[in-house]
Amino acid sequence: MLAEARAFFAARNVMEVDCGALVRCPPIDSNIDCIGVDQDHGFLHTSPEYALKRLLSEGIGDCYFLGHVYRKGELGHLHNPEFTMVEWYRLNIAFADMIQETCEFLFLFFGKKPIRILGYREAFETYVGINYTEISLPELQKLTSSTWPRDTCIYYLITHLIEPKLGQGELTVLTDFPPHEAALASVATKNGEQVAERYEIYHEGVELTNGYHELADATELRTRFTQKNTERAAEGKAPYALDEKFLSALKTLPECCGVALGFDRAMMVRHKLKSIKPVIPFAWDEL
Amino acid sequence: MSSVSTNDIRIGMKVEVDKEPYLIIGNEFVKPGKGQAFNRIKLKNMKNGRTVERTYKSGEKIDLADIEEAEMRFVYKESDGVVFMDEKTFDQMTISNELVGTNSQWLMEDTVFHIVFYKGEPIEIVPPTFMEMVVTDTPPGVRGDTASGRVLKPATTETGAKIQVPIFVEEGEKVKVDTRTCEYVSRVNP
Repeated sequence: MLAEARAFFAARNVMEVDCGALVRCPPIDSNIDCIGVDQDHGFLHTSPEYALKRLLSEGIGDCYFLGHVYRKGELGHLHNPEFTMVEWYRLNIAFADMIQETCEFLFLFFGKKPIRILGYREAFETYVGINYTEISLPELQKLTSSTWPRDTCIYYLITHLIEPKLGQGELTVLTDFPPHEAALASVATKNGEQVAERYEIYHEGVELTNGYHELADATELRTRFTQKNTERAAEGKAPYALDEKFLSALKTLPECCGVALGFDRAMMVRHKLKSIKPVIPFAWDEL
Repeated sequence: MSSVSTNDIRIGMKVEVDKEPYLIIGNEFVKPGKGQAFNRIKLKNMKNGRTVERTYKSGEKIDLADIEEAEMRFVYKESDGVVFMDEKTFDQMTISNELVGTNSQWLMEDTVFHIVFYKGEPIEIVPPTFMEMVVTDTPPGVRGDTASGRVLKPATTETGAKIQVPIFVEEGEKVKVDTRTCEYVSRVNP
């Protein structure tokens, strides 16, 4: 499948880039932790996103990375601290066409499947029966029988009530995320509502990809990163330094979409397995 | 009270939830790509054996249960309970008939039980996995029965335990029994 994946990109003139795993500044996300190497050598990358975007800004054109990335403390039937990611970027491509191409890549693993586009708001209406922006916090806490803050309740409903229903016999493309879920995606107005141009694709209840219409606004990203660092601090986690080289490179980032895909999970679903462990030569707890 | 983060929860740990002791029997990591991580934890109530599932935010703390365990030797039965003696301290204590429950069928002299305490109160008594005892009552085996595939027959032992034994076992014979399943394991040579 690795060879087929590479052939997919070669046929589309997308160039492979072998980014280094060592980075000075880890990508900033309140819910993703990096594995630190030592004080002189920074961190292991959690995705090649910053490096690829810097290359895009320098004019490399359509490109992809297929290799290992690392995330601290992620261990479970769908997680391993070291896993294989495919991440690619396409210049001047419509958001809808990027979704289509991602689905075609997934067809390599599952064969052709129907594709269903599902809005974030619609997902909550269909599978939870709520209007996720109007519902009160006490009602959310009742639904989740918890005392959690709003965001945590929402994530609980996604992971426990929505995700398992997605991608049954099809590829479900979850999109139109709320603006605060944009991460590095740009935000657009759709039906009078602000939505992040971000998509996740599910097959058989498993989240496989996360894609964006890439945001090239350094000022906006700086604000989001600072916000993520505030959230990290609130969780008692150390803030991460902003990658200034990355932020300044954004000035020349071309119009593009990008997506990251969990290769091990795609292999797992292809072989109808319940865990990624059998498709990894030696998973963390087998080492 | 000491506590443990959901990230460090392992199968077999004993925790306290809603003032009840629970044994961890499963811990699954659930995380959306860009969101809050959860641990879906399966727990077994150590008092009534009921299994429940709870979801915690990853990193949330759960209190550890105040559990102590001791090896205690059966001494004698009283009207309101059973007296055991701690193998280490030689302290004696009476455990209620209610808690002993069906384990009364394994009460035999010099047998050491594993006893679990929660906040100093006994909550569970576990007999040795294998015990040797004499069969005191069993109908004679009927040879023809093997043809119909029936190779076991009921038997009662010296402790009053009702077990299933192969048809060749006779009254007065000593057998090894698996106390988890009440099944015959083997004959014991005198």
